[in-house]
Amino acid sequence: MSVMVTGATGFLGRRLVRLVREDGVQVRCLVRPSSDVEPLRRTVGETLWSGVEVLSAELMDIDRCRDAMRGCSIVYHVAAGLSGSTSTLFLSSVVPTRRVMRAAAAERVQRFVLVSSLGVYGTRNMRAGSVLDEQSPIDPYPHLRDPYTYSKVMQERAAREIEAETGLPLVIVRPGVIIGPGRGVLSARIGLQLGPLMVRMGGTQQLPYTYVDNCAAAIRQAGLAEGIDGEVYNVIDDDLPSAKGLLRMCRRAGHPVKSVWVPRPLIQPMAGTYDWYHRWSRGQLPGVLTPYRTASIWKPLKYTNKKAKAQLGWQPDISFDEAFRRSLPSSEAVD
Amino acid sequence: MSNPQSNIRVALLGCGQIADAHLQEIRKIDCAELVAVCDVHQDLADQAAARFGVPHAFTDMQQMLSESSPDVVHVTTPAHTHCALATQLLEAGVHVYVEKPFTVDVPEAEQVLDVVQRTGKSLCLGHDQLYDPIWLRCRKLVDEGAIGEVTHVESVLGYPLSGQFGRQVTSDPNHWVRQLPGGLFQNTISHPLYRMTEFLSDPQPRVDAHWYASGAATFPTEMVAHLRGKTVTGSLFFSTQIEHQRISRVYGPHGALEVDHDGQTIRSIRQSRLPGAFGKLEMPWRHWREGARNLRRNLWRFMKNDIHYFSGMRTLFELYYRSILDGTPPPIAYDEMLRVTRLMDVMFRHCRVRTGAKRLAALSGASPRVADRKANRVTEPVAMDDVTNERESFR
Repeated sequence: MSVMVTGATGFLGRRLVRLVREDGVQVRCLVRPSSDVEPLRRTVGETLWSGVEVLSAELMDIDRCRDAMRGCSIVYHVAAGLSGSTSTLFLSSVVPTRRVMRAAAAERVQRFVLVSSLGVYGTRNMRAGSVLDEQSPIDPYPHLRDPYTYSKVMQERAAREIEAETGLPLVIVRPGVIIGPGRGVLSARIGLQLGPLMVRMGGTQQLPYTYVDNCAAAIRQAGLAEGIDGEVYNVIDDDLPSAKGLLRMCRRAGHPVKSVWVPRPLIQPMAGTYDWYHRWSRGQLPGVLTPYRTASIWKPLKYTNKKAKAQLGWQPDISFDEAFRRSLPSSEAVD
Repeated sequence: MSNPQSNIRVALLGCGQIADAHLQEIRKIDCAELVAVCDVHQDLADQAAARFGVPHAFTDMQQMLSESSPDVVHVTTPAHTHCALATQLLEAGVHVYVEKPFTVDVPEAEQVLDVVQRTGKSLCLGHDQLYDPIWLRCRKLVDEGAIGEVTHVESVLGYPLSGQFGRQVTSDPNHWVRQLPGGLFQNTISHPLYRMTEFLSDPQPRVDAHWYASGAATFPTEMVAHLRGKTVTGSLFFSTQIEHQRISRVYGPHGALEVDHDGQTIRSIRQSRLPGAFGKLEMPWRHWREGARNLRRNLWRFMKNDIHYFSGMRTLFELYYRSILDGTPPPIAYDEMLRVTRLMDVMFRHCRVRTGAKRLAALSGASPRVADRKANRVTEPVAMDDVTNERESFR
């Protein structure tokens, strides 16, 4: 058996390649011609490297994709744009996903695992304190969210279209915020990062985090578990801290974060005022803070990983405390 | 005179990054109605339509023209497609706004302008920074004689490749920007160039240009160019090694004006009139007063909601739409479009010639001094009419 991984040189992709190799499976890595393969090689290690085949191609090149995945039973589609304008993210996530899936369908791949994001849910209309699981609705107005979330919603929508059209067996994994060595532990889920200052929005909201190795293990299982075609899995770790709790952990670990606190009742009025000014001034300040976005991202919700544990046979082996320690800037954990 | 209430139906072709700026500014114009967007990728067209409230999204240009009947189409596709698309659109009977750079080279530019003449439709080129409020203020001060007759213009563009677009261009040898005859420079250099040519009216100034790769770059990333007209000279500096900045300096016999397009400030550079050490006190005092004036002006503009990165673009769109409604010539003259394109061709040719000479010298094993001498043989300014349509890959 052999599998193919897109985005194999990335933060998550290279851990996934290592895990798959540890199972003794041959891995084909589809990388951009300009990608640096060295970090992947270091992560996989020399012993396992002999079973890794690196193929250079753009994901938009459907013929090269087909060549690369010929004979592969599983395709893990990890590659995606993480930042930039909406059009850039669509060009690096949505459009290539259509092409890679068409290639996979043509090559009769037995399972296509798409790595999406926990951000795709329409949390704005959920009640505070409710549990977000795989049954929660997808955001109905993703264009009102940030460019990354919008691109992930549309990437999933494109994937479902191709699945329906071609019958390609699809499994979607929705990781929370991925932390790990070199990435730190701060994220937009805590608040707005303004230079060195973190504007903490509320603080009691649980942070849907997953450690990169835990996440890679769940994705691997999504390719292997039987009878789960068409399913979706949220991937988050156990014992997740609140935003306030995480900043406290940072302080105790000797990495205090300069922050100011915006109490929860003030978040929506503040966002409403900012949004009004943005529209009234015809965009003199960028429209980054809207009531829709703030209600989506900083709502206090509970997260569950029950389905992933039950159906994928997955456990987040690395505890959150250990994940936190490894993700700190002073950590000696290897990126 | 047209009816001021008339609306102009606007469509956009190519929903990439710069399309966002176009759509955002078009929406602010009262006489404009956004009717459609079009992109070869349906997903891209859809996202632009959803975010900017455009009623229709297409993947086929002809279908867009027949179903949405726009009066004017903005072309925001990669530069190498401008000629063919502008030609097709003009032939189809619509007016066209083309994002810079105009075309890949002069023959293409001439071809498009021929079609403009034949079809009677108008075309506008994205020289939008000429309508940036701070540049208009500079122009006004020059016209009022603040520095006397202009003798020299300096234009600096800092373009670090660490940005999103820069990273794409760097990492992908097949990126469309790298395929242009002038590579990275062709896509961006028209902005600093037309800021110079506004004061340098010679139809064929002499050009001396040089490009080179910085650090680990595998393609030219830095450029220095000098233009020499009869009475005005110009110098252009493009660098990926400095912070993002757009600075212009306009010099005359009575001083100079320095314009910071990003900071929206303008500063007068002038010798002190006071003797000796007193001059050293006068200069900081003058800078402080100018700083206060800039702060007051920008504060006032902020209160009036008048600080927008793309406000020059909006003004240019507005003037162009008005010219269509009134049947008057477009705000950017066709001769100027051609002149800037021609200057770019000459600059790139000059750079290629110099690079080629250095490479030859290096290959022949000549000593550094000999290589320099050989290179210098081709550093004589190149006249506009020397241009041929030769290309060199930036891969």
